Amino acid sequence: MDEPELIRAAQRGDQRAFEQLVRLYDQNVLRLALNLLRSPEDANDIYQEAFLRVYKNLHTFRFDCSFHTWLYRIVTNLCLDALRKRRVRREENTVVETSEGFLDRMDTVEEARAHGDPQRQLLSRQLQVRIRQVLGELTPRERAVFEMRHYQGLRLRTIGDMLGTSEEAAKNCLFRATQKMRAALGDFV
Amino acid sequence: MKCEEVRTMLPLFLYGELSFDDEERLEVHVDECAACRDALARHKAMFTSLDAAEILPTQDQLDDCRTELRQRLAHVQPEHASFWDKIREGFSVHFHFAPGLMQPIGAVAMLVLGFVAARMTPGSLLGSFHAASVAEPVTSRVRYVEPVSQGRVQIVVDETRQRVLSGSVDDQSIQRLLLTAAKDPSDAGLRVESVDLLKNQPQSAEVRRALLYAVQHDANAGVRLKALDGLKDFADDPETRQVLTQVLLKDNNPGVRTQVIDLLIQHHSNAMVSVLQELMMKEDNDYIRMRCQKALHEMNASVESY
Ligand SMILES: [Zn+2]
Repeated sequence: MDEPELIRAAQRGDQRAFEQLVRLYDQNVLRLALNLLRSPEDANDIYQEAFLRVYKNLHTFRFDCSFHTWLYRIVTNLCLDALRKRRVRREENTVVETSEGFLDRMDTVEEARAHGDPQRQLLSRQLQVRIRQVLGELTPRERAVFEMRHYQGLRLRTIGDMLGTSEEAAKNCLFRATQKMRAALGDFV
Repeated sequence: MKCEEVRTMLPLFLYGELSFDDEERLEVHVDECAACRDALARHKAMFTSLDAAEILPTQDQLDDCRTELRQRLAHVQPEHASFWDKIREGFSVHFHFAPGLMQPIGAVAMLVLGFVAARMTPGSLLGSFHAASVAEPVTSRVRYVEPVSQGRVQIVVDETRQRVLSGSVDDQSIQRLLLTAAKDPSDAGLRVESVDLLKNQPQSAEVRRALLYAVQHDANAGVRLKALDGLKDFADDPETRQVLTQVLLKDNNPGVRTQVIDLLIQHHSNAMVSVLQELMMKEDNDYIRMRCQKALHEMNASVESY
């Protein structure tokens, strides 16, 4: 079954079609949530909530945009909400203070993946910390646009659609994000 | 193009998001300007560092997510099935949904639609504040607050609206809502009730199409039986007969197959004989086999050879 067929089958209540549909996109959804929120638990929460919403609302999908766009509208809204809540609670970074000094909850995740990838091993520890800091300083929208453009490779026009804004507004967000990053990382590269 | 302008455009250039003309002008400048060439190289290096900072989910993480989702989905349906029960409880004082009272003409349908309104756009909150749009919803909840600048704050409110619509079942807009509800994949209870209301309107071509669709595709046998009920006066309509024939040979529910046979054998035809003979080859329900044999006898067709 191709994607429209899967969607129609899932709309008729076919559970297996729904699962297949999920699998077309869920790896990228998890990747986006993980990079935006930098917490495996929060990324899992976003994943669950996003696909539950898709499941409950799939009957309202009318094929007037791509399913990818429709799905990412839900995902990015959830991520932005989560990022904004964190800002309110002033819990932006994942660094927690313990008796042994500062521990980063993401370290285990990143180190587990670093093996076998020379590029990642070359990346200095200091630079990693700095990148994480500057990402944390971006506004939620700048952050989302940057992740979607840089890591997910989406075009600004599509990103605008997904975030409910114009291509121009998305471009401005990306521009501000890269300016901030250049200012913060300029000495390193 | 000045160096300063080139520098601001470098990231968009690397993302391939510049206009054709800007890209052209930038490339020409970079070719001739060593300082900007150097800036471009540094930008590329920064991009590479950023590439390496990406976190990729592990296969275990993904598997955990998928397992949890499957478990959660299993619980979504029952939660929704009680939807109509709640509504009926709430409005039983004014309305009765008993099928006997649902006469085709002048019957009244009542729908309660709950939907989450689109989140208020930040723009509308920052601009003039529409008091009416906030007063109207049944419930609104402040989702988060965020200071924007000196003395200004951005508040995002989630609104859940319930709108009560009442009208005759043959009213166009009521019918459209019922047709949508009849296909709601997440709520079999809602589909049963909607089809039950719609089945009294089979003279509408759109309703008949929806009934035929439900008979063929609805995952819930209760919904399929209701839809069949609505089609009983169309046993001689060729399109209906064609769909019912397929249902007879494919449907896994004996109750549905029984009702389809009852509908189809009202009209004898050669086509019917071969369908029944085909069914005899694979039918394992004794009652249906018996009905089938009886019908074939009545049509003077052979049973034994199958
Ligand atoms: Zn220059």
